[in-house]
Amino acid sequence: MKAVLSVKDLNVVFSGFKALSGVNLDVYDGEIVTIIGPNGAGKSTLLDAIVSKSPVASGKVFFNGKDITNRQPYTIARMGIGRKFQNPNVYNELTVFDNILLALKGAHGIFSAITAKLTKAKKGKIYDVLERTGLIDQAFEEVSSLSHGQKQWVEIAMVLAQDPSIVLLDEPTAGMTAEETFATGEIIKSIAKSHSIVVIEHDMEFVKQIAERIVVLHQGAVLAEGSVEEVQSNPKVIEVYLGRETINAAA
Amino acid sequence: MSNVVLGYKQSSFPAKLAIISGISLLVFAVIPFFIGSFQLSLLSKLLLFGSLAVSLDLVWGFTGILSFAHGVFFTLGGYAAAYYLKLNLSAANNTYGGELPDFMVWNGLEVLPWFIAPLRYFPIAFLAMIGVPALFAYITGSFIFRSKVSGVYITIITLAISSALTTFFISQQAYTGGTNGITDVSRLSFFGTEIPPIGLYFLILAYTTFVMALSWWLTQSNFGLILRSINENENRIAFLGYDVAQYKIFIWTLSAALAGMAGGLFVPLNRFISPVYLAVAFGTQVVIWVAIGGRGTLVGPLAAAILLGQIQNSAERVTQDWQLVVGVLLLIVVLFIPNGLMSLVPKQLRLANLSKPKPLPGTVKAAETTTTEKAQTEVAQTEPARRSS
Repeated sequence: MKAVLSVKDLNVVFSGFKALSGVNLDVYDGEIVTIIGPNGAGKSTLLDAIVSKSPVASGKVFFNGKDITNRQPYTIARMGIGRKFQNPNVYNELTVFDNILLALKGAHGIFSAITAKLTKAKKGKIYDVLERTGLIDQAFEEVSSLSHGQKQWVEIAMVLAQDPSIVLLDEPTAGMTAEETFATGEIIKSIAKSHSIVVIEHDMEFVKQIAERIVVLHQGAVLAEGSVEEVQSNPKVIEVYLGRETINAAA
Repeated sequence: MSNVVLGYKQSSFPAKLAIISGISLLVFAVIPFFIGSFQLSLLSKLLLFGSLAVSLDLVWGFTGILSFAHGVFFTLGGYAAAYYLKLNLSAANNTYGGELPDFMVWNGLEVLPWFIAPLRYFPIAFLAMIGVPALFAYITGSFIFRSKVSGVYITIITLAISSALTTFFISQQAYTGGTNGITDVSRLSFFGTEIPPIGLYFLILAYTTFVMALSWWLTQSNFGLILRSINENENRIAFLGYDVAQYKIFIWTLSAALAGMAGGLFVPLNRFISPVYLAVAFGTQVVIWVAIGGRGTLVGPLAAAILLGQIQNSAERVTQDWQLVVGVLLLIVVLFIPNGLMSLVPKQLRLANLSKPKPLPGTVKAAETTTTEKAQTEVAQTEPARRSS
């Protein structure tokens, strides 16, 4: 099987500090890859490097076989990579509806933006996304009036509206209650039916809920890879990240 | 999950907006028959300043790029018009009888420079009024917005552009008339007939209406939504697939073209153009109109330019220190009405709200029903899983 996203020997350097060193990662069609690792392991940096938010020092990123290393963020987005940021990165001064409208898949040129009509099909798609993320009642509220968890959903909804072939989610459940976290997990699973997903997560309960394959990052390098059980029983992982107590508690 | 399905009412030109803009237009069309020639000329000028302020509002109010260079775009259009009007002085009116403008003779030029000569033809001059500022904006904009420069540094660059061009125009006396600029230009004629002041007023009113309509149309579209998003967080929108630099260069260039045409209409009214309008002081004045009127409101900057112009005019009659009066006024607005005068207008009457489609709980359209139903079944499927946890 061919990888949708393929990261080869990736190095990212921030003024002398090696944030990522020699990271390799393949993401296949329809797969959920969960990235875990202690703070500063380079999880967000990896996603940043994929979407060109941080410059790649050396190594390559391939998307459907095409080299996208250090290309313009908007080009990468248009090719079909959607990104949700760690802190909800949404438009607070706009309504939920407008946020989704902005993200909606389609032509993003100036001319099409000026002449664009809000068609039934577009509205339908927006309402669909809002229903799936439970935001339909807040459709015409300004995002600034929403709770933190709801803002997270707005951004997930934006990524959904983008309809990318691969979704990169950076801590989608941060600041959510247990119930909200669970609902988010179900949303992510439903997204996975038609998209590949890379998700960064801390919450082990949540990881277990959604995870198929886990990649453990540590000090900018891949430490271990495998299923939940494999990773949890990996001595290296236990040593640097999870700790015996966490493993026991989780098991 | 609620069963409320929202309808989305959208009309291309809302009735309230049509009524309000119609009445305003009528007032401006009737006013000239009740005021003297001085007031007529002042109002014409203020409408142009208003158009200039609206052009800055597109760039600053909507997109978040604070520019002190809008006086420059205005003046570039103004010089194009000034060359045209100067070169079309009849030989009798021209001090030296020939085709060479007086200031060129004084500075020892013997032939009309090749880059100025074509401006004697109206179509070329007309294109130059729009094209020169637009091209200048496109080039500067491409450098500024494609580079990594952002925020306050862009503003500093616009200040530098304004200062540099002022110095340049003053230094090129033989071509630009130096500090005095281009004076004693002819009046604007239409096929040999001189356009009277009231005709010029209506021309300017038509242009102002055009600027307002175009700006409204652009900003209420998806394009306007994207501009506002760039204003709030330009980094995010790139990851949604938008080329932010392209949008900024476009609105920057368009805004410069609108400002340039205003400058082009300003010269037949003002009868001269000079580097005063290139300078930072004038650029600042445009910024003040937008700030006092209210950023991102379109109507605000236009109203502020007209109101402040009238206040300045009245204050000038009473005291020489009129700038003090305007200064105090600015302080009051900045301190007590930070969002500008338009924030005092009831929300329902603001342009943005008049043109915003209102959400209405309403009948479900066929296309929407199917998608919502699909969504609801999906939700229903996940429901048991939720309960079992």
